[in-house]
Amino acid sequence: MISYEPSSIEACAELLSECARDKRRLGFIGGGTALELGNPPGELDAVIRTRQLNHIVEYAPEDQVIVAEAGVTLSQLQSLARSNGQWLGVDAPHADRATLGGLVAVGGFGPRRARYGGIRDLLLGVALVRADGAVAKSGGKVVKNVAGFDLPKVVCGSLGSLGLIAHVTLRLHPLPKASATLTLGELTPSQVVDTVRGLRRAQLEPSSVVALRTGEGRFELGVRFEGFARGVERDAGRFADLAEAMGSSCKPLHEPEAEAFWLRQDAVRSQGQLRVRIAALPTQLAEVQDRLAPLLAGLRAASFAWYATLGIGFASGEPEAPGLIGQALEAARAGARRLGGSLVVEAAPAAVRASFDAWGPPPSAFFIMQGLKQRFDPDRRLNAGRFVGGL
Amino acid sequence: MPVPVRPLSEPPPLSRQLVARFAAVVGEANCISEPSQLVTYECDALPHLRARPGLVVLPKNRDEVVQVVQLAYAAGLPVVPRGSGTGLSGGAMPIQGCLLLGLSRMKRILEVDLDNQWMRVEPGVVNLDISKRLAPHGYYYAPDPSSAQICSIGGNVAENSGGAHCLKYGFTTHHVLGVELVLADGRVVELGGPVLDAPGYDLRGALVGSEGTLGVVTLVTIRICRMPETTRTLLATFASTADAGNAVSLIIAGGILPAAIEMMDKMAIDAVRSVMGIDWPEVSALLLMDVDGTEAEVEQTAAEASERCLSAGALEVRRPSSAQERDAMWRGRKSAFTAMGRLSPNYIVQDGVIPRSQIARVLTEVARIADSWGVRVANVFHAGDGNLHPLILYDASVPDEARRAEECSAQIVRLCVSSGGSITGEHGVGADKAAYMGEMFSESDLESMNWLRCSFDPETRFNPGKIFPTPRLCGDIPGKYAPHPAEAAGVIGRG
Repeated sequence: MISYEPSSIEACAELLSECARDKRRLGFIGGGTALELGNPPGELDAVIRTRQLNHIVEYAPEDQVIVAEAGVTLSQLQSLARSNGQWLGVDAPHADRATLGGLVAVGGFGPRRARYGGIRDLLLGVALVRADGAVAKSGGKVVKNVAGFDLPKVVCGSLGSLGLIAHVTLRLHPLPKASATLTLGELTPSQVVDTVRGLRRAQLEPSSVVALRTGEGRFELGVRFEGFARGVERDAGRFADLAEAMGSSCKPLHEPEAEAFWLRQDAVRSQGQLRVRIAALPTQLAEVQDRLAPLLAGLRAASFAWYATLGIGFASGEPEAPGLIGQALEAARAGARRLGGSLVVEAAPAAVRASFDAWGPPPSAFFIMQGLKQRFDPDRRLNAGRFVGGL
Repeated sequence: MPVPVRPLSEPPPLSRQLVARFAAVVGEANCISEPSQLVTYECDALPHLRARPGLVVLPKNRDEVVQVVQLAYAAGLPVVPRGSGTGLSGGAMPIQGCLLLGLSRMKRILEVDLDNQWMRVEPGVVNLDISKRLAPHGYYYAPDPSSAQICSIGGNVAENSGGAHCLKYGFTTHHVLGVELVLADGRVVELGGPVLDAPGYDLRGALVGSEGTLGVVTLVTIRICRMPETTRTLLATFASTADAGNAVSLIIAGGILPAAIEMMDKMAIDAVRSVMGIDWPEVSALLLMDVDGTEAEVEQTAAEASERCLSAGALEVRRPSSAQERDAMWRGRKSAFTAMGRLSPNYIVQDGVIPRSQIARVLTEVARIADSWGVRVANVFHAGDGNLHPLILYDASVPDEARRAEECSAQIVRLCVSSGGSITGEHGVGADKAAYMGEMFSESDLESMNWLRCSFDPETRFNPGKIFPTPRLCGDIPGKYAPHPAEAAGVIGRG
C-alpha cells in the first residue's frame, strides 16, 4: 500500500486534491496508538502518516495558546509547554507516541479530565484538509470565540472520517507547582461512590479520581490534588481525615509510588488484546461492575479502571477463548445501554472485531451524521467503515 | 462572498386559516398575529435591527413545538426561535414575515440529579433560576452571562453564552451535556445526555452556539457544579489601562487562574461613579477579580494575585470586608453598561476578542481609532480571556455621528481580527456581525460550516440569513439606544 508523509498543510492539501482526482481511498495515521479503535476499515488505496507534520506553528506562552501541526506528539508538546511553566491538561496514555491530531481524532483524555476536561474541551481551533483538498479552518486562536459553527467539536472524535486534521489550536494551563496522590484500599463500589460524594461535600477539588479493581468487587481508589504546595498539602490532609472518618485507611503516596499508580491505570487502557470503554453515571459503578463481570471472568489478567467523577470505565485483558467473548461483550453492552450508557470496543482480536460492532447501534440522530459524512466525504473515501454505523 | 444557500422566497402573507391552525395548537392567547402586538417581537436586545414577524407562537411543551414546526414547514414559513430576547447580535431578530417561535413558556425544571451533577430543564428556564434552585444544596450552574436574571437557557445554548466567570469554568458548551432537538420537518432527536461520550459525531457540540439555525431545542441537560469552598474578590486600581493589562499578564504568568478578571477604563469608571453612585476611587483603570477554590488554595492565590497587581504598579488593592461590599463591587461592574447608556444617548457595543497579551497595545489603538472618527469609546471587558467590550458612544441627533460610530466600530472589529482574535467572544454573529465573517473565515471555511448546517436543516428553514455573510437586512444606521427595562433599572448588564 502507498504511504504518504506530507510535511506541511499545503502539501496535505495538494495530496488530498490529487487523491480526490484518482478517487483513492485513504486512511490517516498519527502515532498509531488507536488503530484498533472502531470497526476494521474498508479497503484502502493509501495511508497518509502525519509524522512529518511535527512542527509547532505558533506558541505565545503569555496567552497560553498553542498552534501545532497534527503529528506533534503529546510529550513533545508537553515538554515545550513545561519549559514555559505550562501544560496541556490532557494525560492520555502513550504520550510519547500519541499525536495531537490523533488525540483530536479519538477525543482523547486521561484522569485529569476531572479537572481540565478532555481534548474536546481544550481544542480551540482546527485546520482540516477536506476530501476535496480544500483547507477548512474553524474556531480560532483565542480562548473565547463564538464566530461561526463549532466545527472543532464535530471533528473531535470523528476518527478521520471527515478530513485530515492538519493543525490544532489548544488551550494550555499553568503547570501546578505541587501534586499529591493518596490511595484508599479495598473499597466496595458503594464506598467508592460515597468517597466521591464526600469529596464533593467537603468542596475538595481533586484533579483526578480513579478506582482500580483489585479483586472481586474491590477497588483501590486514587485521588490526586494539584496546585500550589501549601494548598495541596492541606487539601490532601483534609481528604485523609475525611477518609478516616468514613472508615477507610488512606495512604499518601511518595512520588515513585504515585507515578506507579497512575501508570497502572494507563496500563488498563493500553494493555491487553481486548479493551473496552464503558460509560454510565458516576453513581452506577456497582451496576457497571455487575454488567462487566462475565466479560472480566473470560479474560486473563483482567483489569478495570473507573474514572469515578466522570462515569467512564476501561476494562481489558487477554481473552481466554476469543470465540466466546462476543457473547459477554453483547451482554455487557446491553447492560450499559440499559443504564443509559454505552460500550465501545477500543481493541479486540480480529475474530471479535469482525463479528462484533465496535460502537453498538447508531443513535437516533444518525441520519444527521450520515448527512454530514455525505457532504464532507461524498465518495466515502476517508477511513470509511471504521466509525459509528459504518461512517 | 455569500455562501450559496437556497434563496428564500418572500413568504406569502399569512391567511386567517393558517393562523387559525397555529392557534388550534397553542391556543388563541399564545398565537399573536395583530400587527400592533407583533411590534414587540421585531427585535431582540439589538434594537436597531428590526423585522416584523408574520406570526408569533408561544408553545408550552415539546409536542406543541413539533406541531407548530410541522405546520410552518408545510406552509413554507421560515422559523426563528427566540428565548428571552436578550441577545445582542440580532440572533433572535425575525425574518420578515416569519414564524417567531417564543420558548419562554417552556420553563419547567424536570429532573435534578445532584449526585451525578446534572439536571434537565426546558429551554425557557431563566439562567439564574437554575442556580437559585440549586443554591440550598450548595450547587450552581457555572455560565453567568450579564443578563443571567432574565436570559433563558435555550438562548444560552443557541449563543454558547459566556460570562465573567467563564475564564476558569468554561462556556455553555462545556456545561451542556445533551439536548432534545426538533428539526425543521418535526422530527425529534436527542443529542448527548447525562452519560458522557455517546458514540458518534459530537452533534451536541455542533448545536451549542449555532444561533437557532439548526432546530428548536426543547430540553437541555446541563452539568451542575459544586460551589467552591471560598471566593475572594479583589479590586485593584491603576494609573493606566496599560498597567492593568500588564497586571493581568503577570497574574496569569504566575500560574493563577482566577474565576474572573474584569477590566474597566476611566470613562467606564467615571460613569459608574457618577450615575450609579458607587464608591470607587477616581482612577484610570481597575481590575475586578474573583479567585475561588478551596480555602487553602485561595489563601495563596489571592495573596499572589494581589502582590502581582502591586508589582505591576497598582495604586491600591481593595478587599471587600463583607458580602455586601463584594456585591457592591460586582454591581458596579454589571451596571457599567447601564451607566454608559444614561451618559450617552446612543452607543454600540462590540464583542471582539484579542489574545490577552495584546490588551495594552490594542486599547491604545482603539483610543486612536476613536479619536480619528471623533467619537468616544469606553471599555468594560473580560480581561482574563481578552474579550473586549468597547462601547462606542455617540449622539444620533448630531448629523453624521451615527455613521462615524459605525465606522469606528467596524475598524475595531477588524483590529481584533488582525490581532489574531475573533469578531465575537460571546454575543454571537447573528445578523449584526454576519458581514464580518468573511474577514475571519475563507470561502472554504464558510462552505464547511454551511455543510454542517445543511446536515441538520437542508432547506435552511431555521433562522435563514443569520451568521453567514449577507447584506444587512435593514437599518444599517443604528437607531436610538433603547435599553431593556431590566437593564434600565441597573439589574442586568450587557457584557
